[in-house]
Amino acid sequence: MSYCETQALAIGYGAPLLRDIALHAERGKILALIGPNGAGKSTLLKTLAAQLPTQGGAVLLDGQNLAAYTPNARARKLALMLPHTARTELTTCFDVAAAGRYPYTGRLGVLSAADKQQVRAALELVQAAPLADRDFTKISDGQRQRVLLARAVCQQPEILLLDEPTSFLDAKGKAELMAILQTLAHGKNVAIIVTLHELELAQKLADAVVCVAPSGVSGVLTPQEAFAEQNIRRLFDLTAEQYAMLFKNGDTKPKFEHYIRSGQKLLRCGYTTGTCAALGAAGAARLLLTGHVPESVGLRTPKGIVVEVAPQFCRPTADGAECAIVKDGGDDIDATTGLPVVAAVTLLPDAPRTVTIDGGAGVGRVTKPGLDQPVGAAAINHVPRQMITEALLREADAVGYGGGFAVTVSIKGGAAAAKRTFNPHIGVEGGLSVLGTSGIVEPMSQQALLDTLQIEIHQAALKSRRLILAPGNYGLDYLAAHMPELARIPVVKISNFVGEALDMVATEHFAEVLLVGHVGKLVKLAGGIMNTHSKQADCRTELFCAHAALCGADAATCRALMDAATTDACLEILDAANLREPVVASLLDAIQTHIDRRAAEAFRVGAVLFSNQAGPLGQTKTADTLLKTWKGA
Amino acid sequence: MHTRTRLTIAYFAMAAALLALFALNLFWGSVALSPAQVVAALLGRTPDALTANILYQLRLPRAVMVVLLGAALSAAGYLLQTFFANPIAGPFVMGISSGAKLAVALTMVVFLNRGLLTNSWTLILAAFAGAMAAMLFVLAVARRVQRMSILVICGVMIGYICSAVTDIVVAFAQDSNIVNLHNWSMGSFSGMTWGNVTTAAAIVLPCLAAAFLLSKPMAAYQMGESYAASVGVPVRVFSVVLVLLSSLLAACVTAFAGPISFVGIAVPHLVKQTLGSAKPLYVLPGCALGGAAFCLLCDLIARSLFAPTELSISSVTAVFGAPVVIWLLVCRHSGEGAA
Repeated sequence: MSYCETQALAIGYGAPLLRDIALHAERGKILALIGPNGAGKSTLLKTLAAQLPTQGGAVLLDGQNLAAYTPNARARKLALMLPHTARTELTTCFDVAAAGRYPYTGRLGVLSAADKQQVRAALELVQAAPLADRDFTKISDGQRQRVLLARAVCQQPEILLLDEPTSFLDAKGKAELMAILQTLAHGKNVAIIVTLHELELAQKLADAVVCVAPSGVSGVLTPQEAFAEQNIRRLFDLTAEQYAMLFKNGDTKPKFEHYIRSGQKLLRCGYTTGTCAALGAAGAARLLLTGHVPESVGLRTPKGIVVEVAPQFCRPTADGAECAIVKDGGDDIDATTGLPVVAAVTLLPDAPRTVTIDGGAGVGRVTKPGLDQPVGAAAINHVPRQMITEALLREADAVGYGGGFAVTVSIKGGAAAAKRTFNPHIGVEGGLSVLGTSGIVEPMSQQALLDTLQIEIHQAALKSRRLILAPGNYGLDYLAAHMPELARIPVVKISNFVGEALDMVATEHFAEVLLVGHVGKLVKLAGGIMNTHSKQADCRTELFCAHAALCGADAATCRALMDAATTDACLEILDAANLREPVVASLLDAIQTHIDRRAAEAFRVGAVLFSNQAGPLGQTKTADTLLKTWKGA
Repeated sequence: MHTRTRLTIAYFAMAAALLALFALNLFWGSVALSPAQVVAALLGRTPDALTANILYQLRLPRAVMVVLLGAALSAAGYLLQTFFANPIAGPFVMGISSGAKLAVALTMVVFLNRGLLTNSWTLILAAFAGAMAAMLFVLAVARRVQRMSILVICGVMIGYICSAVTDIVVAFAQDSNIVNLHNWSMGSFSGMTWGNVTTAAAIVLPCLAAAFLLSKPMAAYQMGESYAASVGVPVRVFSVVLVLLSSLLAACVTAFAGPISFVGIAVPHLVKQTLGSAKPLYVLPGCALGGAAFCLLCDLIARSLFAPTELSISSVTAVFGAPVVIWLLVCRHSGEGAA
């Protein structure tokens, strides 16, 4: 059991400032409290030290409610070290440290020989023994802090709470203090809770971390979780630039600078894991082929934007070379941001111009049919595979190398990060997917996207009364490939905001609107789900299942549909049951009903559905008429 | 051990000074007594009734009273300095003596005008009420301002207000009492009776003992209120007791001898420097010894410098005490700048 733990603790001065705090500290471990100034770190610490009453909940110390301890009994278990201390005159460091014997001495506080021995031992422990007879006001800040620590040690605490102990210390003082805290925790089995505003220090010192933000207090996190870029940025409300300025070393490193405008704001774009893998492969190949470590590697993404970055590392391995590129999501923070994507390359001189690609640690495996890659393959989609191949062949051409390459892509920390994604859900296990159709991540903050969407729809309205809306890059690709005759009609990419886009279309007075999208997105419209992001609602297989049942599918088919990983898998099941046509028709009718309701007769709207594997799937009734008029005109 | 020898020597020196000054106070006066006469009188073998009277009814009670009140005043000052974490806090500069003085003056005038006699208990009660009122005001100010210099200025201002009101009250007193009241309000050890001494001892001695028993939490409190709380000092109770004790000691002094300036600041400071320690366990007994000796010296000077005219005791203590306060302010100021 934890030595000190809180149960639904609320803290504050008079009124609760933070609630529902559940943390625990173990003996022998250092727990760091980090967070912005004024968020309540010190308040929390003082509450844990019984210096402030709880505003609800309880603090348990060694299994007993802290409030039930007598002050003396508490002081024998718990010592508190505050940043500001009164500097009494004419007091030697020995006297200051000896004050820590308070809970053990008699009525008048006279020190016994044993007490004095304890004080000397404590001063010895903090390497302050030579200071014993010096005046406490006449020593350096670092020495003073060590003497105060000795005073706390004299209390023989089982838990030590420190509030910003490093505030006034120089580099040496900090190093010494850290070493002593580690000795206390790991050598003397003391539980230590320390508030720190210096994150580098906290990162090196802490065995566990609790983040204190004005919005709430986190649970006990591992240092890896706590100091992940996205957590720190959220905790301190930092932009990517601010974070990079503070925590990323090497200003010589080329940084990806591509912005999109969104209303008044500029948002920085990033690059996908696929781009990282291709860049890493190129870097490793260049090291193998030229013998030089590349300072930076670059490529042109499918979107046409050049990405050039410095590798995190690029080094030879036993049978080849590996190169790591840190994923940069720009202002769009997702699970993969900040993770190094490592490409390990070996040369295959006997296999001319072939590239074999596989996934290593942190890259998932496909376990269900219907995804971009077959079952059993590494979850590296076809566009990244193509990018990797192109990048490697370009490196080969540059030096006239005629052989082939074998690439293994891995993502450090990918397995853990994947748990926060939908991968396990869709049938990719063991790690992240290497994705990206354009190679570039455009920031996706909701409001920013809606602002951009509004502007784009408005611009389109200046040119035309007709409009095509596509949820994503798949839709755009499909349009270009299958409906080249519609090239004159403006196209707006709407991401997941189908409902919002239709509302904007109405206010811009369009007459005819066509939605062109992948079945995986647009099938949701059949259920009236107008924001197709999977965080909002899924129901894809449920909708397939329900409409299949309406069309007479048997229970086994319905069950198989319900369990399918993707819509492409659903289509395969329907094909097998010979039900694809009626079910798709039924879904299209439902889609027509829902989008008509949203359009509320302000304009005519239809939808065209396709799938990457099965190609064109069908179109709603209004889409039919619209396409006929548009193609005819 | 170095500190132990230093402490022993310092205590012996202070005790010796106390004894010597006590003796001098008995010999010295408008009627000079020889050591032989004094010893004879003390042993009850004097043929001279006048000598015995002077000694027993005037000089001895006065000297004992000076010892008691001097000890009380320095201890009160030290308690206040600990409480406010401020080396220039003291009953006089914080206006506590003046508050007590005002309350005593009011009581005396009211009683005298009605032809009633005031006994020492009534006066002490009045002084305590006045001291507490001033103290509460200072505490209210202290809650709002953190800077000790502002706190002291407020205390001095309270002192002036109380003195002004006291002067007005004295102006309304009936003629015959004015001289007496005026003397008292300037501060004086004259006219002490054995009755006064007993009453003062009944208050001062228990208070000093209680303060001494608080030396352990006081030492923790010196290191900061939060720290004291963290090692288990019941801070709230402790500070109330500290305030009550210091007010009671200061009130007792004021009730008998009027306001006496600067002893409460100068003596604890000099004692700490002499002992080379700020530990309450050592400093409190030192304050009692040193305060008694210091007041004996000052009273001797006040009585004999322009004999037979007696100076007010505050005039003498101010000459010795005020420079110490100025010195402390200067040192403390440079310390604040560095911190």
